[in-house]
Amino acid sequence: MSQTSKYHIKKTDKETLGKWFRLLTLGRALDDRAPNYLKQAIGWSYHAPYAGHDGIQLAIGQVFEKNKDYLFPYYRDMLTALSAGMSATEIILNGISKATDPTSGGRHMSNHFSKREWNIETFSSCTGSHSLHAVGVARAIKKYKAEGVSICSMGESAVSEGYVYEAINGASRERLPVIFVFQDNGYGISVPKKDQTANRKVADNFSGFKNLKIFHCNGKDVFDSMNVLSEAKEYVKTTGNPAIVQANCVRIHSHSNSDRHELYRDDMERNYVAEYDPLAKFRRMLLRYKRFTSEELEAIENETREIIKEAHRTAMSAPDPDPKTVFDFLVPEAYTAARYPDGTHNHKGEPKKFIEALNETLKAEFRLNPDTFIWGQDIANKEKGGIFNVTKGMQKEFGIERVFNAPIAEDFIVGTANGMSRFSDKIRIVIEGAEFADYFWPAMEQLVNTSHEYWRSNGQFSPNITIRLASGGYIGGGLYHSQTIEGALTTLPGIRVVYPSFADDAAGLLRTSIRSKGTTVFLEPKALYNDPRAATPIPDDFEVPFGKARVRMEGDDLAIITYGNTTIFSLEAAEKLKKEHGVTTRVLDLRSLNPLDEEAIIDTVKRTGKVLVVHEDKVFGGFGGEVVSLINEKAFEYLDAPVKRVGSLFTPVGFNRALERTILPDTEKIYKAAEELLKY
Amino acid sequence: MKKTSIIYSFNTVKTAQAAKMIIESFGDQDLEALNAEDITGEKFLKNKNLILGVATWFDGELPNYWDEFIPELEELNLKGYKVALFGPGDQKNYPENFVDGIGILGSLLEERGAVIVGFTSAEGYKFEKSRALRGDKFMGLALDFENQASKNKERIRNWVEQLRKEFP
Repeated sequence: MSQTSKYHIKKTDKETLGKWFRLLTLGRALDDRAPNYLKQAIGWSYHAPYAGHDGIQLAIGQVFEKNKDYLFPYYRDMLTALSAGMSATEIILNGISKATDPTSGGRHMSNHFSKREWNIETFSSCTGSHSLHAVGVARAIKKYKAEGVSICSMGESAVSEGYVYEAINGASRERLPVIFVFQDNGYGISVPKKDQTANRKVADNFSGFKNLKIFHCNGKDVFDSMNVLSEAKEYVKTTGNPAIVQANCVRIHSHSNSDRHELYRDDMERNYVAEYDPLAKFRRMLLRYKRFTSEELEAIENETREIIKEAHRTAMSAPDPDPKTVFDFLVPEAYTAARYPDGTHNHKGEPKKFIEALNETLKAEFRLNPDTFIWGQDIANKEKGGIFNVTKGMQKEFGIERVFNAPIAEDFIVGTANGMSRFSDKIRIVIEGAEFADYFWPAMEQLVNTSHEYWRSNGQFSPNITIRLASGGYIGGGLYHSQTIEGALTTLPGIRVVYPSFADDAAGLLRTSIRSKGTTVFLEPKALYNDPRAATPIPDDFEVPFGKARVRMEGDDLAIITYGNTTIFSLEAAEKLKKEHGVTTRVLDLRSLNPLDEEAIIDTVKRTGKVLVVHEDKVFGGFGGEVVSLINEKAFEYLDAPVKRVGSLFTPVGFNRALERTILPDTEKIYKAAEELLKY
Repeated sequence: MKKTSIIYSFNTVKTAQAAKMIIESFGDQDLEALNAEDITGEKFLKNKNLILGVATWFDGELPNYWDEFIPELEELNLKGYKVALFGPGDQKNYPENFVDGIGILGSLLEERGAVIVGFTSAEGYKFEKSRALRGDKFMGLALDFENQASKNKERIRNWVEQLRKEFP
């Protein structure tokens, strides 16, 4: 604070000072009261007290403009939420997990305050992961030339996470309007910052990033925080560039109610930080400079006590969430494939390859919807369109604003898609999640986060993303160009997972994915991109609904339930069985793993009595285990033999072709397994 | 030497200990000790020679008792005042903001017209950054109780001798 500062104890008008004191007092009273709810077994089992962060949290909320800016708080940001306009009642409703909690209707953990209708965004407990969302929405702000900035708040220890570096690098490279606020209280739970960063001021780690301005402030001091954050916002608005505000705070209490800081902080240190109580300091300043009398301040303190009493009464009488609603808002609404309700067609025409189907469908959807975007590694550079050229010609036709490269940072690719989705429900994003599905693992953190969003926000936010992944083996790709990862992906509630085998289904499912709300992981068996066996005629407007399997061959003696690469092999094996043994095989291509067409599976068991479940992934832990369990539970009485499985060995995929052949399933292995099953 | 005020927080440990050592070193010279915790503009302006004790809090901040005085300080005319500053600092654990408090307060006082005296050499200290540094000198006396406590006595003695010459 200096005489030229915008906010100053001697210059700021009394009304504003009073508003700040009211917010600071209200916030602190709630902060101090929150642990009582746990002690009384009412709830609020997680509370991360903010005392000591008062200045910067007040400032974040005050500079945030509802419905114009986007605010991404973190779990210590109680005063931020209050200062941004949330009420004491809303804070308590979240704390004690009531059905009317504006954040999540009691679904999300306490102390995760958000209010989507104002752009106070829902965020995960995964520290710092919202930095990618903040960057993503800032990308939309820039592309749509909207006003406003994205504000992302986190503790200084969150900056140790690699994805925070990805986020700041992305904001710096793309020149996006983001303010990253680091609330530095010196600890990540009990880990002191010397164990987190070489620079005590972690913002200084970013001093070499271009287009990025770093500000420092005393986060305990109201005026310094207000002045610096206002300056940072002005800088971001006028330049369009990102900024970091490092706010030096103290943590007066333990990390949370499950932590006991007296185990690692001595009396002297605890007294030292308590000495700098930001609220006490602000109060002293108001009196010292005669801006308020003691009586006036006491009146405000009494008033806030009444507000809290009333908020407590209201929140306590609010309804609890109804356990019957646990499946509500799990997966956002899918596009209704009305033209092709069962996802089949009788179109006659020239067969098109799998890769053509993808390319043409993407282009058709991008022509139809101007709010579509695609990015990924290698996706757009002159004539190149993705590692396999699936997106060839797209940048040329739709321009760099809609079709663009992403850095080699998978978590960034997915996280910014989540963030950009927040800008408008109209937006549909397609991403190549990684060069190969094998490289998607770094993005799992963001995928898990994204899979929760709709449920966690009680239906308030749906990340509308299609994640394309070139999957599977049979190309001599070795350990890291052969993985098929649906076994892990299908364990996540909240996302769809599809895995077509033929060009027409690829086109139909891609169209449905792009038009749907929610997140669909679209797995592409890359070995089939140019394989004539996967080529089919495709109606121009083909659509395939989710959760509809497709009978690719009819038969009565045996059934093979499969998807992806192995559908082709299963059909070949079925042909051979007919030729060699005169038996007919029903080949059911699941196409969609989540949702799964249980009806088609059960119907198939009823028709044949003998079932072989085949997939490329490892038998042990593979998705086939779910299919077999389903059959055991719901169709056991129709079985004439145990269900057998064919898949890859429980090893990585070897690079030498002889190793690859041994490890992965093929036509012959399926044929032999079918023969054994027929003999049962 | 004219009447001199020595202003520091009476609630502190190291700063207060250093202040007492400074007072002792001045011997017969009458220093008027004032508590920074309740300093006012009027008290601050009482004597034209000032010795101020200022610690560095956290990662380079003024202690509350000085910080809260700044809005008042900003309106004071300090022309004709000579000010010497001392403060504790930990060069090993806080090398990035070693005795910043001296620099922050010293700069503010200069802006108000005061002349800073009692600069000392930064030789013999090992740190990375300090807002108290002017060229190769500190804007006052840096005392490291954590790592160089054995040097405090000599450093204070030398500084007091220097102040006797620099204060009118």
